[in-house]
Amino acid sequence: MNKILAIIGRDLKSGTRDWLIIYLSLASILVALLLRALIPSVGESTLSLVVLQDMSPGLLAHLDDQARVSQVPNIAALRERVLRIDDVFGVVETDQGFEIVRQGNENIPMEAPLRFILNSYGREAAPLPMQVAFSDVGWRLSPIKLEGGTLLIIFTTVFGGMLILLNLVEEKMSNTLSAINVAPLHRSQFIIGKGILGFIIPIIGGISAAMILGFSGINISMFLVTVVAIAFISIIIGFSIGVLNNEPIAAISGMKMVYFPILASIFGAMFLPSRWLPILYWSPFYWAYDSMRAILLQEASWGQVSFNAAVILALTGVVFMLLRKKIQHGLQ
Amino acid sequence: MIKVQGLYHSYTHDHVYAVKNANFEIAPGEIFGFLGPSGAGKSTTQGVMTGLLPLQQGVVQVAGYDMRLRQRELFNKIGVSFEQSNVYSKLTALENLEFYGKLFDVPTLDPMQLLHLVGLDGVAKNKAGTFSKGMKHRLTFIRSMLNNPAIWFLDEPTTGLDPAISRKIIEIVKDKNAEGATVFLTTHNMQVADELCHRVAFIIDGEIKLIDSPRNLKLQFGEKIVVVDHRVDDTTKREQFSLVKPDDMARLQTLLQTGKIEMMHTKEATLEEIFIQVTGRGLL
Repeated sequence: MNKILAIIGRDLKSGTRDWLIIYLSLASILVALLLRALIPSVGESTLSLVVLQDMSPGLLAHLDDQARVSQVPNIAALRERVLRIDDVFGVVETDQGFEIVRQGNENIPMEAPLRFILNSYGREAAPLPMQVAFSDVGWRLSPIKLEGGTLLIIFTTVFGGMLILLNLVEEKMSNTLSAINVAPLHRSQFIIGKGILGFIIPIIGGISAAMILGFSGINISMFLVTVVAIAFISIIIGFSIGVLNNEPIAAISGMKMVYFPILASIFGAMFLPSRWLPILYWSPFYWAYDSMRAILLQEASWGQVSFNAAVILALTGVVFMLLRKKIQHGLQ
Repeated sequence: MIKVQGLYHSYTHDHVYAVKNANFEIAPGEIFGFLGPSGAGKSTTQGVMTGLLPLQQGVVQVAGYDMRLRQRELFNKIGVSFEQSNVYSKLTALENLEFYGKLFDVPTLDPMQLLHLVGLDGVAKNKAGTFSKGMKHRLTFIRSMLNNPAIWFLDEPTTGLDPAISRKIIEIVKDKNAEGATVFLTTHNMQVADELCHRVAFIIDGEIKLIDSPRNLKLQFGEKIVVVDHRVDDTTKREQFSLVKPDDMARLQTLLQTGKIEMMHTKEATLEEIFIQVTGRGLL
């Protein structure tokens, strides 16, 4: 165990002195922050309001029934909240009735429904000139946030693989692998030591990304099972490319080839009609997408997650058998 | 301590052998030199002996371990210094040694003492990537000493080092050998081999041509020659006289009696000359 920890410690120490590795370790968190800042949140597809704390309780209750309402102590705070990047309308009671405070660049035109809600206050019993019905198409999340989050979390496992790849390329470049091969270190200890960051980085990065994107209610156990399952294949690919390349640019280029099956699987799963989905069954990333999407939607069951993880591991096993000799040879 | 019998190795897994039927034994406490030009099979032989290459055919035993079984525990007993320095450039010299030391199951030497030994203690906390070639080579060399190895494989330990550091390395090898370490030395440098080795093997085209001590080789292959610098008129003339040929001995006798000798010294055959004589090839 001490030897495995020594290898992990060395890789961590070396990684903190390499900007590319630092970036890869933090990439998922940075991208999640970017997504959170730029993509309209789920709250913006409904109506979000900010009001003053001294608003009359009746009006507050009326608004709270039909919108997401937050309260602030004064008008300055209200303006500051409206000016933030997401879409929130301010509502201020005035002598004449109400004043709507808006930024003017809202993504979704929600001002009309807001006026309707405000005008209906106190007139609930009045007959409406029209019949209004609310319906949705089943989306409970911003689709970009959901799909972007799923894609990002799956890509986080690839970042873990790339980290392994870069550490192995460093060993190959400096020929330190020869020195390792004449140390009393079992091959399995070396592989575990090198591979473990390929799990830790996706787990930390994936959970961080999910939390940053607001998926706080997800089942963490299911999340971990899926991330660990898909991390296996990224690690194997990272090893196979890492041990065969002696310089980082060529290795990263090789790793980029993995992007194709990932993107093809995920975009195929998004856009293909269900009768065409079997053409993606060969890809472990499809199964990972299927699980992760359901987990983020909080619709996943253990049956689905376990089955998908088993398929991912089985496919990983096949990939490993195909690449085993290359990896073994490269580690000589 | 080391036994090699009928060793063959082919990189192409056919009858094109990099090493052919190598046979030798190395006794405990011996310094054994493996000499030959590039591509002769030195590194291949050492690769099999250190487990870096698989044993395909023959018997190789190192410290009692059968290399066919590739038991990792063996590496607690051996040290390997590579010809090409191989250290982690992003780690400091001290971190390199500390990391490698953690891989052993036996007590290891103090990294700072080792760094001091080769004059790197002043740059212990500098990244190895900033080191010169010679400094990296010294770091690689002392890394192989960490576990105080009973068998020490040294591949060109003085290559690229300045004379003072080379001398230091040679003295360290002598000291370790005096403490009981067995040394397998691969080198082009015949002077180093001559100074250090109890026995040497000449290998060429994968075949060991002979094994003997440098002294025996010199006695066997060297010609007894005296080189004399003497004054003739106003110039210095250099002449060689065989101590075996009667004519030369007579002329030398005359010169000793009548000539104006400035310098005179015996000339032994060097290992390099013997190597060329035996193998018909140079070392480069």
